[in-house]
Amino acid sequence: MSSPTFGLHELEFQRIQAILSKMRRELRAELVLLISRSGQPIVISGSSENIDCTALSSLAAANLAATDGLANIVGEREFSVLVHQGRQRSLFISDLMKRFSLVLVFDATASSGLVRYKCKHTSLLIEDVIRDYQRRIEKTEPVSSLPQFSDAELEELLGS
Amino acid sequence: MTFINYVAREINCKIVYYGPGLGGKTTNLQYVYQITSAENKGKLISLATETERTLFFDFLPIEFGQIRGFRTRFHLYTVPGQVFYDSSRKLILKGVDGVVFVADSQEERMDANLESISNLEDNLKEQGFDLAKIPYVLQLNKRDLPGILPVEELKRQLQVKGEPCIEAVAPQGIGVLPTLKAVARQVLVELRKSA
Repeated sequence: MSSPTFGLHELEFQRIQAILSKMRRELRAELVLLISRSGQPIVISGSSENIDCTALSSLAAANLAATDGLANIVGEREFSVLVHQGRQRSLFISDLMKRFSLVLVFDATASSGLVRYKCKHTSLLIEDVIRDYQRRIEKTEPVSSLPQFSDAELEELLGS
Repeated sequence: MTFINYVAREINCKIVYYGPGLGGKTTNLQYVYQITSAENKGKLISLATETERTLFFDFLPIEFGQIRGFRTRFHLYTVPGQVFYDSSRKLILKGVDGVVFVADSQEERMDANLESISNLEDNLKEQGFDLAKIPYVLQLNKRDLPGILPVEELKRQLQVKGEPCIEAVAPQGIGVLPTLKAVARQVLVELRKSA
């Protein structure tokens, strides 16, 4: 088998973007990302000018995966939340449905309890969006799918 | 997990370079980084020891171009080759879309190659993948060194399913891009099948 595919469509994008933006405003966070557990940024809310979101996503996913490994070693099923406290910025990473992760860059002076609470609430809202999407694609025709590119187009892309 | 962003019109895939220690996995990524134009690549991140051996992984995001209006982005990862970093290797395989096995062509490294392929098979299985079905390319690296085995012999011992087999000298870039393109092609063909 190969890896499953996840597609992000306009409707889900808008809903997730709205949820992330609301949390970002409420926490006055700099940046909020929904990423895949394989390390790809999916939806970004906030200013990403000074932060390399691709690298951040990759490292956050690896960090969470390594933490899962640590949890197993000490007999825990998971450590589902990671907090890195900095002098000016802090980082919060939490698991979401074992397929995604929520990453938050926020002011180090913010209450980590509030961050944790809001992230939990946000995770539930995003889970609803993803479940709605899954139900929708199970019941109806695909909303839109990847265009069927030809072998010639593939060769043009990858040609020497 | 291939991630297709229909809003931004992007296809995102994850490729992992696997193989025994000191086989040239990081060198492959470094060469790709060197020759890729700035607008088509991100930062090359190396989580390495003080002696520059890969500790956790190297990571390089690159973009090939567009197909049917979709940007094709590949996230390239290496694993640490040293035997005792097995836990890290398992983690890097999470959500992988395609694998490149970088074999060391030197005769004295044949056992290490075989052990690493067996380890790859086990670790893929643990992540829910089957080596027989995942996009996969075998790279025979270090073809410029003395004491290397003939290609036919390496293929006989290392090929697992008739996968593309590419000779390489990674520091000189020989075979590096053909390897990457071969695995990217397989990943996109798989994606087309599932679309």
